[in-house]
Amino acid sequence: MNKFALGCGIVVAVLIFIVVVAALAIGGSYNRLVRLQQAVDQSWAQVQNVYQRRADLIPNLVNTVSGAANFEKSTLVDVTNARASVGRVQTQLDPNKAPTDAAQLEQFQAAQGQLSNALSRLLVVVERYPELKANQNFLSLQAQLEGTENRISVERGNFNQTVQDYNVAVRSFPTNLIAGMLGFPPRPFFTAQPGAEKPPPVQFNFSSPAPAPAATTTP
Amino acid sequence: MPNQSGRSRLSVRSRSEQATPLLLAALALFAISAHAAEVIPPKPGTYFNDYAGVVSKEAASRFNEQLAQFERETSNQVVVAVFPKMQSDSDIADYTQRVAQAWGVGQKERRNGVVLFVFIQDRKMFIQVGYGLEGALPDATAFDITERHIKPLFRAGNYEAGLATGIDLICKAIRGEYKGSGKTIADRKGGGGAISGLLPFIIFVFVLFILSRLFRKLGGYSYSSRGGGPVFIPSGGGWSSSSGNGGGFSGFSGGGGSFGGGGAGSSW
Repeated sequence: MNKFALGCGIVVAVLIFIVVVAALAIGGSYNRLVRLQQAVDQSWAQVQNVYQRRADLIPNLVNTVSGAANFEKSTLVDVTNARASVGRVQTQLDPNKAPTDAAQLEQFQAAQGQLSNALSRLLVVVERYPELKANQNFLSLQAQLEGTENRISVERGNFNQTVQDYNVAVRSFPTNLIAGMLGFPPRPFFTAQPGAEKPPPVQFNFSSPAPAPAATTTP
Repeated sequence: MPNQSGRSRLSVRSRSEQATPLLLAALALFAISAHAAEVIPPKPGTYFNDYAGVVSKEAASRFNEQLAQFERETSNQVVVAVFPKMQSDSDIADYTQRVAQAWGVGQKERRNGVVLFVFIQDRKMFIQVGYGLEGALPDATAFDITERHIKPLFRAGNYEAGLATGIDLICKAIRGEYKGSGKTIADRKGGGGAISGLLPFIIFVFVLFILSRLFRKLGGYSYSSRGGGPVFIPSGGGWSSSSGNGGGFSGFSGGGGSFGGGGAGSSW
């Protein structure tokens, strides 16, 4: 009888121990996942900030450029249209939460990429208008636009890094069991578009013709 | 008793010992591949760093003191780094952002660092602006500084005047943004920034040395095949600051500021 009671006691103690350990492990993993997820959402907000910053520059840019005598209208129309389609994609996204659906992110990326292309075409066309190249307002806008492209590439990189940290946690054992149970799906990240690894070439050097290529040819 | 604890540590050590060659190989591989692609220069020990030797010693130390004093007054960290050549295939904006971020220029919470990078042979420069100063030193202003003030002087070959102008204008733009505590981070850490920056490394080497001695005495392992023990010294790309450190009494120590790609640059 005494022995039986002792046995029962040990079994109960072991069970309690296991439950406590499991609860601690699950709690710890859960908290870690929440933290990582929050980091992802935060860096997504930053990504949207910098894209928004670019979108905000566009009306001013279009105004300044279209003030130039008989400026090619089609490039301006392209930029305006691309910006509008970015706006449409953006309204479908939850601003406080990074996209969980890969297709959604792809759509966002495609729209932004289209805008990038339209902008870089615009800046190429501008080269043919000396009066713009002497325009202080335009030069300042161009510097801002260029800085915004740099910021975009930085924030996209940061976003991908946080997503990677999160995805590694979600997919690795034993956290993946908990992530599956509590609903932490892996998140999609930005992929490099063909020819878009670098920000569009908005770096122009107006006063000295073509000094840049020398750097690439040095052994 | 000490013997026992020594043995238990020894067994742990032996396992990590087996992993060490692999780790070293991986590190070496990484170092090689990283070298081929890009070199992030080591953290500078002074505010003004002329790795290309384009300004006089007196000017270098004057700039350095000016920037140290600026941090005392405003807490903004402004670092100037003049390199002979860019060690990366990336765009200058991308590369210098990574370097500035790695150096951690600026206070951690305020993120108020600015780094002026100059690459003499590439004839390029870039001002990287930390998140916290993007308002005070917007891209258009940074571009104005490099394009209209520094560039003409650099073109004329007057690097000293160009850098002086650049430093003055950067400081002027960001002066009102934050208030300083009268001390730099290096001041607070005590001693020069160069030394305090090296301190953890020195301790690490020292501990390794003691440990290796200890284990050799215990007879378990000898490092004879490898000689000096597993000391991995990261090389910073092969040049040393010649005049930059000369006479710079105020050491620089980064506060962990971060950079988001703000700023602008020019080529001359």
